[in-house]
Amino acid sequence: MDLTLIVVLVIALALFFDFTNGFHDTANAMATPIATGALKPKTAVTLAALLNLVGAFLSTEVAKTISGGIIKEGDGGVLITPELIFAGLIGAIVWNMITWLLGLPSSSSHALFGGLIGAALVGAWIAGAGNPIDFAVVTSKVILPALLAPVTAGLIAYAATKLAYAITRRYDGKPDGRDGFRHAQIFSSSLVALAHGTNDAQKTMGVITLTLVAAGLQPAGSDVYWWVIVTCAVAIALGTYMGGWRIIKTLGTGLTDVKPAQGFAAETATAATILASSHVGFALSTTQVASGSVIGSGLGRRGSKVRWRTAGRIGVGWLLTLPAAGAVGALAALVAHMGVGGIIIDTVVGVGVIIGIFLWSRRSEVSHHNVVSEVADSGRAVKIKRNPKPKKKKVTS
Amino acid sequence: MIDWLAFLLVFVSALIGTAVVVSAYSLGIRLLTASGRTPIVTPAEFTDAITIVTPAEIKQAEKRAKKAAKKSPLTDGQKRAALVGAWACFAVSGVAVLVGIYLIVGDHLIEIFS
Repeated sequence: MDLTLIVVLVIALALFFDFTNGFHDTANAMATPIATGALKPKTAVTLAALLNLVGAFLSTEVAKTISGGIIKEGDGGVLITPELIFAGLIGAIVWNMITWLLGLPSSSSHALFGGLIGAALVGAWIAGAGNPIDFAVVTSKVILPALLAPVTAGLIAYAATKLAYAITRRYDGKPDGRDGFRHAQIFSSSLVALAHGTNDAQKTMGVITLTLVAAGLQPAGSDVYWWVIVTCAVAIALGTYMGGWRIIKTLGTGLTDVKPAQGFAAETATAATILASSHVGFALSTTQVASGSVIGSGLGRRGSKVRWRTAGRIGVGWLLTLPAAGAVGALAALVAHMGVGGIIIDTVVGVGVIIGIFLWSRRSEVSHHNVVSEVADSGRAVKIKRNPKPKKKKVTS
Repeated sequence: MIDWLAFLLVFVSALIGTAVVVSAYSLGIRLLTASGRTPIVTPAEFTDAITIVTPAEIKQAEKRAKKAAKKSPLTDGQKRAALVGAWACFAVSGVAVLVGIYLIVGDHLIEIFS
């Protein structure tokens, strides 16, 4: 197949993945401020889109991890071809759409890595080459951050929640002013959206750069091109704006009910963890970090309960992502190996799945209009245990 | 090689950053309340399991805050000092965020705009 055509196809697919990534991840930044009423849903989503756009311009470390580190190129490894990247992307996108439909906060990043790794393994197997994956890099920059980041964020959010409550606690029963954290949440959630842009938009930039290098259109190890940064930033911002209502439902309310002080602590912890990780080039999953923070901050509040069942469901979604996307990616790579016909089959099947899922999801469409009432209803159905009074009795003033 | 130092660095810097930002802001709220200006911020929209607050309840909360402020044992000077302190804390919180962002992406930004 014509090289330029396949490169264009891969870039288009990568940008579409970027779009679904934003679509999937609006909730990371904006579920908590919407849940506490710090921002109106519409405002929250617009803000998230704008800040993702800005964040995408702020760093390229993660893009370098992807384009330069994970899959060995040339001698000793598989010669990564645009066809394989194409197959990997199909795997990632299909898995992203499925989890979006089920309302599971899976990880777009792991879907991407899973798809690419699956495709590369099949490519190596067909070529009879050795192990194409640089497992040392995969372990230290993808798998370990994936396992550690949610725990890290959870611990930090737990500590921050304790701090926020301890500092503002009043034992004399007078108003404590914790409402004021709603204002802070506007800023902290914006910071999460910004951090998301610095980490997630990078992943697509990395893939496009990898494709350009593989096709010989860009020297290996060079910087990300300017037009790649701009298109990726726009794609993720558009995706963020268009989507996420379904996920907002799971992350913001199903998990634990959120109070302003707690939401602020969780968002600050999320943003700090993601920003610090982007800085050292860890391609972690922003979704998992956000979920870890929400759980951690929930545990930091007295008398609040995390619903472990929902938390477990989310955990299973995380664990499944890498192998599941890998399987789809591998399958797509097998088909793509058949040549032009294979690529066409892949494209048709991939687009078919996307359109099918989209049409199916529209049958029970959830938009910001009906989510509001639905969530409010379920909120009333849940018995919220009131916070127990502070144990220390009155401090006479 | 797994770079454990990088993990430690991420954890420690995120922990310190979060602690500084959250403590400063919380202290700001505490001082603002002490100065007799308890912030009453109603939700922008009752989207979630937020207990719906009626306008009457909001007024009640404001009244309670005013009453508490009147009973405050602090002198006017102390209240003024608390107010100044509150804004100083909010400023520290905001500056900490900006410094954090600069530390992380500053080099890159300088590269872009130079």
